Amino acid sequence: MSSAARSERVTSRIGLTLAVTFTLCFVTGLLSHLIQHPPSWFGWPSRPIGLYRFTQGTHVVSGIASIPLLLAKLWSVYPKLFERPVIRNLPHALERLSILVLSVAAFFELTTGLFNIAQNYPWTFYFPQLHYALAWVAIGSILVHIAVKLPIVRRALTTEPEPSRRAFLRTTWLAAGVAVVATAGDSVPLLRNVSGLSWRSDKGPQGLPVNRTAEAAGVLDTARDADWRLSVVTPGGTKTYSLDQLRALPRTSAELPIACVEGWSQSAHWSGVSLPDLLRHAGTAPGTPVRVFSLEKAGPYGISDLPGEHTSDDLTLLALELNGEILDADHGFPCRVIAPNRPGVLQTK
Amino acid sequence: MKTLRLLLFLPGLAAVAWGTVLFAEYAFPLRPDVFETLGWLAGGPVAHDLLVAPLIGAVGLALSRFLPERWKAPVKTGAVLTGVLTLLAFPLLWRPFGGARNPGLHDADTLTGLLLTLAVVWLGVLAAVFWPRKGSGCCRSL
Repeated sequence: MSSAARSERVTSRIGLTLAVTFTLCFVTGLLSHLIQHPPSWFGWPSRPIGLYRFTQGTHVVSGIASIPLLLAKLWSVYPKLFERPVIRNLPHALERLSILVLSVAAFFELTTGLFNIAQNYPWTFYFPQLHYALAWVAIGSILVHIAVKLPIVRRALTTEPEPSRRAFLRTTWLAAGVAVVATAGDSVPLLRNVSGLSWRSDKGPQGLPVNRTAEAAGVLDTARDADWRLSVVTPGGTKTYSLDQLRALPRTSAELPIACVEGWSQSAHWSGVSLPDLLRHAGTAPGTPVRVFSLEKAGPYGISDLPGEHTSDDLTLLALELNGEILDADHGFPCRVIAPNRPGVLQTK
Repeated sequence: MKTLRLLLFLPGLAAVAWGTVLFAEYAFPLRPDVFETLGWLAGGPVAHDLLVAPLIGAVGLALSRFLPERWKAPVKTGAVLTGVLTLLAFPLLWRPFGGARNPGLHDADTLTGLLLTLAVVWLGVLAAVFWPRKGSGCCRSL
């Protein structure tokens, strides 16, 4: 086992594959970050409706594939850890330091990401903040590492591997593939009943998982209050709607996915008032950015901003029904935003 | 080649620097919880180098020594897959720090899912052992 893994070619092949999965992970993660915290230069379209579902699914799948790949990569170079002398000269010291930084960042990203998709937080820091910061360190140190090792990679990829080493590579690819198949059912509908380690189930109300219950948000009483009103505030004034008044407005129905930042996604049939219709009724123009306030007053996700791109899209709904039934309290009764191509965390209830 | 290496190296260095700035924004002024976070950062390589890698080595060595030739490669592959799948299932199975209960999320029967997946893996291992091979079936090892 020891000798089979140890060759420049094996290390280079797995290393290049890791470079691809980490790059996919970084780019899709950065995209998700920009959608949630958009700088002035950034815009995100409302179509295709499932684009975010695809990019965030890719983020989680490529991260999971990276776990066995990283372990195999490190196994292939493990003896180098015990090289003597520990430090030969300054460039050698810097190279070892850069590998330490890479390994710190890569382990941190994969571990925290895996625990986050399980919504399991054995730490005190705020996950998105440090997962984002260390993502830059990880991708940067990978680029530095490739720059340093490029001559070896080039040399290694032109030699033929021995059979035993091919077997190690085969096992590595198989492990990455099995890891993906065992979990990807959360984002790939075809694998839904195949993935044994899925973190979503069919036990959600109205056939859809819930990421924050009405009870946890402390909004059960306000949601069921008969005096509940929706206020639409425009420069021209404020218009309020009771639930019956909302139900009397023209209806739009659409098949839209909830696509969670944690990688799972599921389509459902939504019905409600389209945002362009609502805005016109309230006396303003579709395409105006809208700030949505949740019944939940505290917490980081109580307010979301719908850009004009989305408020002009007929498929952006103020949903009243889900899969043919009145919204469950956990899905945002009396009404909730559901827009095409948005992270689930911004689909404010 | 030199240009390509520089084109990788310089943006790489810039990204590391930017990530360090973002981390410093979190870490300063220093607080007790920052030291806990530093533990999480150091924990990955330490746990891998001192625990996981020696364990892989020991298991691999034991399998190489005690298994008949025909069984070696398939069983080692099965062991690798078992380790990876168990690792992936770990945050779903061990959750004293799990968030609030969310219906439809993290309430599937992960243990049964894991055992069924492992059963498929080991059926594959058996199939690989008993599948007729070209030649006398020698020399395949991890």
